[in-house]
Amino acid sequence: MARRARPRPRPAGFAQGPRPFAEIVPAASIALASLLVAILPIVSTKGWWPDAGFIMLLGWRMHRSDPFPNWWAIPLGLLNDLLAMHPIGLSVVTFCFALLAIDIVDARKLGRSWVTEWLLAALLILVAEFLQWWVAAIQGAAMPLGALWPPVAITVFAFPIVSELVAWLDRYRLRKTGV
Amino acid sequence: MAASKFRRPGWSRRAQYSLFFSFVALAAGLALGLILLAISVVAPRTFDGLRGAATDATRPAAEALAAIGSTVNGVFTGAGNYWDAASQNAELKEQRDRLRRQALAAAALERENEQLKAALELRERVVETIAAGRIIGSSHDSVRRFAVLSAGRASGVRNGMPVRSPDGLLGRIVATGAFSSRVLLISDRSAIVPARILRTGEPVIARGMGDGNVDLRPLEVGRNPFEPGDIIVTSGTGGLYPPRLPVARVVRLDDDGAVAVPLATPAQSSIALVEAPYEPVALADYDAPLEEAEATLPPDALQ
Repeated sequence: MARRARPRPRPAGFAQGPRPFAEIVPAASIALASLLVAILPIVSTKGWWPDAGFIMLLGWRMHRSDPFPNWWAIPLGLLNDLLAMHPIGLSVVTFCFALLAIDIVDARKLGRSWVTEWLLAALLILVAEFLQWWVAAIQGAAMPLGALWPPVAITVFAFPIVSELVAWLDRYRLRKTGV
Repeated sequence: MAASKFRRPGWSRRAQYSLFFSFVALAAGLALGLILLAISVVAPRTFDGLRGAATDATRPAAEALAAIGSTVNGVFTGAGNYWDAASQNAELKEQRDRLRRQALAAAALERENEQLKAALELRERVVETIAAGRIIGSSHDSVRRFAVLSAGRASGVRNGMPVRSPDGLLGRIVATGAFSSRVLLISDRSAIVPARILRTGEPVIARGMGDGNVDLRPLEVGRNPFEPGDIIVTSGTGGLYPPRLPVARVVRLDDDGAVAVPLATPAQSSIALVEAPYEPVALADYDAPLEEAEATLPPDALQ
């Protein structure tokens, strides 16, 4: 009986193509971003930290048109709500709304540039923060509208950093070098 | 912007349908989210189990990080303490002697107070401490001010119970898990504490400002009773918080009220004690913080 030839060990660096877990990297990184901000070992008195799960989602969707099936936004939003102590449903709404809005803008073809990406992200961040402010106001915690600007500004300026991280993660998971 | 997905994906019906489904999924998700949001606004208690499970799940990681954080913090403050140790030492000794004299005077007053109360046959209610835990986290990216406490239903913690630190009032429990719970801090916009000025005994209302401070309003309109440095304590009205618990220190006056800083800063891994409500009936209903707080005002405040 002929023995099947054993595959020879390949030299390091020869492996090509996406890594085996490439499919789940986008969703996992969004969930991890929500988790990491949720368990920060400090007590923040003003709540000006960026909504990390949300800008991670924006970063992935801006970077690729198909980072994960669209309906994954629902469980990811629910997880973000639970971890970040938002009212349940808030992030489900903002995540789905953001993906829908980007899909529509995509179809209209604004063109590709970092300025339009950043502008759209800033607009979506503003909408998300305003919704959060409004829901808090309904729940009896009405802040003056002026208190909205610092967290919006911080989140908008955190977006380029997060999208750089997303680009690096994307290169890593697809094992692309020099792209 | 990434390449559009809405170019016609060829003649494949399957590809066209899946593109359409992804669109439908987002619309359905949006609708589902709005429904969930409406439920959590109208009936905030609905998802209590879920929220408790979430804080339970993140508790081990949060606790470990909190321990690391407090160690690092301790190293830095420890190094800082050595910086000027000699003159600090002399200052502290002087302060200790002064405080000892004050403590003696206070002990004598307390004794006298006891005797007077015994003569009047007043009965003092003893507040029972239900559980002790540490603050292991907080809300970071919202306008609400919540903290996570490392004690839950397993140690007897229930919704609505007041939480204090050795320095003063922290807030009250709003959601419980088995081993962790969520605390609404007194600096949250929706937290209202019936209080009084320690110096004059005048009743005031303390309401969180959402930025770590507390807004104070006197119940008597017309003149500003506050002075910078005033200590505000709970009045015990309403029966939830025990009376004479330190709440905040006035730092700034505005036209008819004042801004105060809470005395108990919920710093990382500070000890927090969960206490039974001062009057057991005070926990009857906890769904409407605003109405409840209005009900705790003395009747003349609503006129």
